[in-house]
Amino acid sequence: MGKIAEYYYASSCRDAVERARALDSAAAYVGGGVELVLRRNPGVTTLIDLGRCGLSEIRETDEGIDIGALATLTEMSHSVPLQHYAHGSVAHWAGRVASNNLRDMITVGGAVARNQPWNDMVPHLLALDAQVHVLDDEERTVPLREFLRSKRGSALVMGILLPKANADAFGYLWRFTRTEQDIPLLHVSACLHIDTGVIGQASIVVGGRPGHAEECPQLSSQLTGHPVDHAAFAPVIESAGRLVDVGDDLRASGAYRRDLLRAALTGLEEFAAEVMR
Amino acid sequence: MTTTLTVNGTMCTVEIDPGDILLDVLRREGTLEVRGDCHTGDCGVCTVLLDGRPVASCLMFAAKAAGHAITTVRGVGTEAHPHPLQEAFVHNGAVQCGYCIPGAILAAKALLDENPDPDDQAIRLGMDSNYCRCTGYEQQIEAVKAAAAAMREDVHQ
Repeated sequence: MGKIAEYYYASSCRDAVERARALDSAAAYVGGGVELVLRRNPGVTTLIDLGRCGLSEIRETDEGIDIGALATLTEMSHSVPLQHYAHGSVAHWAGRVASNNLRDMITVGGAVARNQPWNDMVPHLLALDAQVHVLDDEERTVPLREFLRSKRGSALVMGILLPKANADAFGYLWRFTRTEQDIPLLHVSACLHIDTGVIGQASIVVGGRPGHAEECPQLSSQLTGHPVDHAAFAPVIESAGRLVDVGDDLRASGAYRRDLLRAALTGLEEFAAEVMR
Repeated sequence: MTTTLTVNGTMCTVEIDPGDILLDVLRREGTLEVRGDCHTGDCGVCTVLLDGRPVASCLMFAAKAAGHAITTVRGVGTEAHPHPLQEAFVHNGAVQCGYCIPGAILAAKALLDENPDPDDQAIRLGMDSNYCRCTGYEQQIEAVKAAAAAMREDVHQ
């Protein structure tokens, strides 16, 4: 951030978007504010606080579970509907990633809007086929994957919808870190539909590659329609290193990440076997 | 800009810059029990409670805290009337240099307000923001369990 000239308390989502549009890249929305403080943008001179826009609620609807953009990770971890969704994976991990102080500050809307490559919630939400309620020219709901591809500066994330179709699925999240609070060297999330021992549908997402999270349709399709056994998972584990684009950064090499990827998918096999038991 | 902060139940009107960070404002206004160290939300030294929940004041805009109740360690207990957590930290050797303790006490208080009988795992998770380079953590875990037991006993009496 440069010198902040104005801290504006938006009275509604529409008010926030209009203000942001008027100021273009000089404005930034404040949900939790963590990213704005940590990664200062010298071009931002106005902060638009969303705290009075009524975006904190988590509720069940006919479509699934609506999570207001300002719901914090802690609020998500305490949410009873989320504790039952996808066998509790979202609630469980919302209460464990980052650290205690940050879990009370990081909002789901901020995580999605900022979409940092090391984020642990975005890949999991992608695996669960989350939708995003966005306000820009108009209010609309778009798949998270589409939102991440085409995000516009003034677009306001109002909330996240976890679709009812995945309410009974099994959510899996695996992250490799030096300490529990650390950002992951590799993150693998999955959503499995398992019915009478057969994987009806699978969705695998890899994050911390070190690039942004990416869906892995080729891996996912290898599992779909197969019984939960080693014969189904072995080719997925074997081919993952070729099919998923992982690379080097200061913290780990691509070769190391490929090994981690195999470990994560082995973990997914064990998770599925545990589900069967 | 002028804003109103409520610190330990006392409302105060302060002049801040719109981009000011809560930690800096609190210290500038004399709330020196809130300490700074990493300024990146990693160490937990700057922890305050915002409406009862622990936050890193080094990562929070001061303007965002307006209208919310801020609690520092002085709002938890005093030397004359210490909180059971403060007593337990002393009795269990969970305080050495003391620099991290205000943050650790506040994190522990938020935990016990939510869960009066936490196990070791819950304590580790509830205080995983708060680094301590002196005590090695085990004494702090024992202190939180001792305080929790004392507080439960108080409730029953």
